[in-house]
Amino acid sequence: MGQHYDAVVIGGGHNGLTSAAYLARAGWKVLVLERRHVLGGAAVTEEVFPGFRFSVCSYVVSLLRPEIIRELELPKFGLEILPLDGTFTPLDDDYLWRVNDHGRTMRELRRWSPLDAEAYEEYGQLMVDMARFIKPILSIVPPDPGKLNPLEWLPLVGLARRFRMLSEAQQAVFVQLMTMSAADFLDQWFETDPLKATMSASGIIGTYQGVRSPGTAYVLLHHYMGEIDGAFRSWGIPRGGTGGISESIGAAARAAGADIRTEAPVDHIITSNGRATGVALSSGEEITASYVLSSVDVWQTFLHLLEPGNISDDFEAELRRYKFRGSSGKVNLALDGLPDFKCLPGPGEHLRGAISFSPSVDYMERAYDDAKYNRFSSRPYIDMIIPTLVDPAMAPPGKHVMSCFVQYAPYHLAESDWDAQRDAFGDTVIDTIAERAPNIRDIILHRQVLTPLDIERDFGLSEGNIFQGELSLEQLFFNRPVPGWARYRTPVENLWLNGSSTHPGGGLMGAPGRIAALELLKARKRKAA
Amino acid sequence: MAVDESYDAIIIGAGHNGLVAGAYLAKAGLRTLILERRDVVGGALATDELASGARVPALAHTVGRLRRSVMSDLCLDEHGLDLIEPDVRVIAPQPGGPPLTLWKSTNRTVAELESLSAKDASAYVSFDRQVRSLAPFLAKLHTFTPPDINHPSLKDGLTGAKLARAYRGLDKRDARTLLRVMPMAVADFVSDFFDSDGLRGLLATRGVQYAALGPWSAGTTGVLLGDSAGNDGGAPGQTTFVRGGPAVLAEALASAARSLGAEIRTGAEVAAVTTDGARATGVALSSGEELVADAIVSGADPKHVLTDLLDPVVLGPSLAWRAGNIRTPGVVGKVNLLLSGVPRFDSVDDESRLHGRIVIAPSIDYVERAFDATKYGRISEAPYLEATIPSLADPSLVTDGRHVMSVIVQYAPYKLRDASWATERDGLGDLAVKTLEEYAPGLADLIEDRVVITPADLENDYGLTEGHPLHAEPGLDQFFAWRPLFGHARYRLGIDGLYLCGSGAHPGGGVTGAPGANAAREIVIDARARARAAR
Repeated sequence: MGQHYDAVVIGGGHNGLTSAAYLARAGWKVLVLERRHVLGGAAVTEEVFPGFRFSVCSYVVSLLRPEIIRELELPKFGLEILPLDGTFTPLDDDYLWRVNDHGRTMRELRRWSPLDAEAYEEYGQLMVDMARFIKPILSIVPPDPGKLNPLEWLPLVGLARRFRMLSEAQQAVFVQLMTMSAADFLDQWFETDPLKATMSASGIIGTYQGVRSPGTAYVLLHHYMGEIDGAFRSWGIPRGGTGGISESIGAAARAAGADIRTEAPVDHIITSNGRATGVALSSGEEITASYVLSSVDVWQTFLHLLEPGNISDDFEAELRRYKFRGSSGKVNLALDGLPDFKCLPGPGEHLRGAISFSPSVDYMERAYDDAKYNRFSSRPYIDMIIPTLVDPAMAPPGKHVMSCFVQYAPYHLAESDWDAQRDAFGDTVIDTIAERAPNIRDIILHRQVLTPLDIERDFGLSEGNIFQGELSLEQLFFNRPVPGWARYRTPVENLWLNGSSTHPGGGLMGAPGRIAALELLKARKRKAA
Repeated sequence: MAVDESYDAIIIGAGHNGLVAGAYLAKAGLRTLILERRDVVGGALATDELASGARVPALAHTVGRLRRSVMSDLCLDEHGLDLIEPDVRVIAPQPGGPPLTLWKSTNRTVAELESLSAKDASAYVSFDRQVRSLAPFLAKLHTFTPPDINHPSLKDGLTGAKLARAYRGLDKRDARTLLRVMPMAVADFVSDFFDSDGLRGLLATRGVQYAALGPWSAGTTGVLLGDSAGNDGGAPGQTTFVRGGPAVLAEALASAARSLGAEIRTGAEVAAVTTDGARATGVALSSGEELVADAIVSGADPKHVLTDLLDPVVLGPSLAWRAGNIRTPGVVGKVNLLLSGVPRFDSVDDESRLHGRIVIAPSIDYVERAFDATKYGRISEAPYLEATIPSLADPSLVTDGRHVMSVIVQYAPYKLRDASWATERDGLGDLAVKTLEEYAPGLADLIEDRVVITPADLENDYGLTEGHPLHAEPGLDQFFAWRPLFGHARYRLGIDGLYLCGSGAHPGGGVTGAPGANAAREIVIDARARARAAR
């Protein structure tokens, strides 16, 4: 029998590490257990091919909560974020290219539509206002709608008061953001099809929804919520890949006294009389703890790590109803050179930001139509970046790495399985790129294809959902993961959740890990008092 | 032109909500005038005549959601309303198998479902119970005037308290369930209960009817539950006919309104709402005549009123822009048939099974594919249909053994991309018949007369913007306190003195009379406040 911890955290992803850092800084004796040989979960950098390092899954950062960066002093522990400049949407004979330089973006938009250029400014200001308003929600512990406990609803009262300070037009926009489809929402402002398509793409990333599906507008805000060095709306990549974030959070946790073990897969959570008392590793080792925090998703936690009989049939039924249905894949390429786009030949600044394969709203919607009937998109949406252009150390000199986020790739395929379709899926992605950058085939040195099945197997994300459960309206806030259990606690006493299956959900935010840790500290203090 | 007369309230449009509002206003003692552009009252509650004098519901064919209190408050039975409720609610023909029949009696339905699947039969009981336990909260919600969020008065506080009480009336599990399922896709909601494709498809249609939404669209469960509110709809939904055709209900409402003192003028098209400063003061008719009133009440859809009838300068650029963005994507057409006999549906031996609604929606994917077309501006190749043969339950509609069939065809988008409704009319009729023929071979040979109503007709003939029968899309973004627009959901629309009493207001479309009754309540409150102030 090993030693006793105040808290043991299952999973060394960015949320698990964040919780550990906060608890250790509060003086707790904390242990983080990671199944793999590297820390980070889906926020990980790996040398997939000799000399080529990839942000294997998650590939950009923007939403990482600034309070976490500040409170855990992450820059001190090696975090450095390199800005990505702009979004380039290649078309057949033209392109749409927006950059951080406002004047240039305006000129580009005016080329497409003077009306849209005008609307873009108004829209941007409105979205910044909205983002400021909505941000506090990311730090709230959701109330239980079944209980109407006034204390739990208190944080929402403040929000309601701030809501009333918005103008009627802003309030109306807020309601629209929470309920509309991204495409419908944008239709109110813009007429340029590739602009609407590219903007709406952020509304569907990681979801099993299309740009015309109600509820997708909300995510548009995320683009205006990101903060790097205090500046709104920038996206970036961490130096050394997204693993750099996990490494820095891990270092902060260690510095505060947390123990972190890799290659330490948890076999099951040990319970006694309905309460969690520790974990047993696959090696047979047992570790006891006052609290067990699980940052893996709810299916992994309750259906795999917990032995049967610990949760009620009702709760299990709710869990099984919780929807994962991963919808995206990833293709990572090691390149001998840079892609050459037909619409804007040669190397250039346009390759330094995000390259978005989203030529029209119909294109995006058709990609979704395929997924609805359980096929991967014949022409998928691709969000491509070439990290070596801002962080050359990721590949040998003169070589490049390219990261392609691909949607839709539904976990459940109608007529086949992912092991049989992996190569066909990779080929489809390459074909799609080749239509606009024909030299791509000639410069590929290596290719890694991650299907939703691979994401499930390699990273422990059920059904390959990158957010540990769909970010659909019915699975947000007090419904996440299960109505009545959105407050990080579980029906098993002393077992807490702190991963993306909880509010405010997935993405490289760290918010669930932070809120869960703070809530646990508060609960323990209350108990002690 | 000189102003002839003055009214307390002028209602634009004698659709069922305009009539309901007019009747309630007159009942409260307001001098009320109802103006109708067409020569008949009723709007979408219309009966068309086919060859040989047969009568068929022109648009809406069932009226089971009509609010009970409207019927009793206005004594509609004394004004000729007689409702028919067949034992069968809906039959759903299936490709290559026996049809599904949902009866008014849950027990009878369950007994029949047993032969399909014991699991689905028992799930039907749970589903029915779930819908019936959640719908009363929505029914309650439907009676409320949405609260004024920015300037809450004591009354809004009371509304909030009443809402909270109704919410607390749900048990803890239902309270959680309600909030979870409202924004959910109806495909997910029904699939949580049922395994059978046929049952899933049939029930999912209740979340998408008349909407540019598919079963996989978020928020469609809320639409299904709203459809169940205020009647005993339960799982199968309502099937209630008006004896003599829907126009009889319209005439009953008009007669009730008149008997209470309201004045109704048909053939009187409103060309503009007249204003004085930022206040609506009257209407100008196409004839040039001008009428004044303290309250101008629109039964017409809000987009039409705000963008076509009102001076944009009065409305202001922000509100004008928002009004122009009210979503009204019409997606239904109507095909009405005169048949020489009762069509024979495969595996239906008993004619009584055809007395309710006949729904073609054999699976969720079928309906979703039908919806997909609309996104690209095309008519569904295999549409979702809801047909009725009202002459089976009401033989007075026809003579000589003939029958009428009323078919709602979805999805037929108002905005066609590579075609125009001027040339697609026959195509829509043929599509409906061809689709039905797959389940009722020989139907085409029975057809003696056919009338096709396209979304463009719904706009031109019935004044529905973009042909949307619900006046505004019923999604989550145009719901309750933000239907039709945030800040304008309290039946007061845009400017002082202008009101909305039609389906574009909370609680939305369908033959309920609810927006009309709710709006009348608010108009009376304002009228009394004005009278007090004048004293």
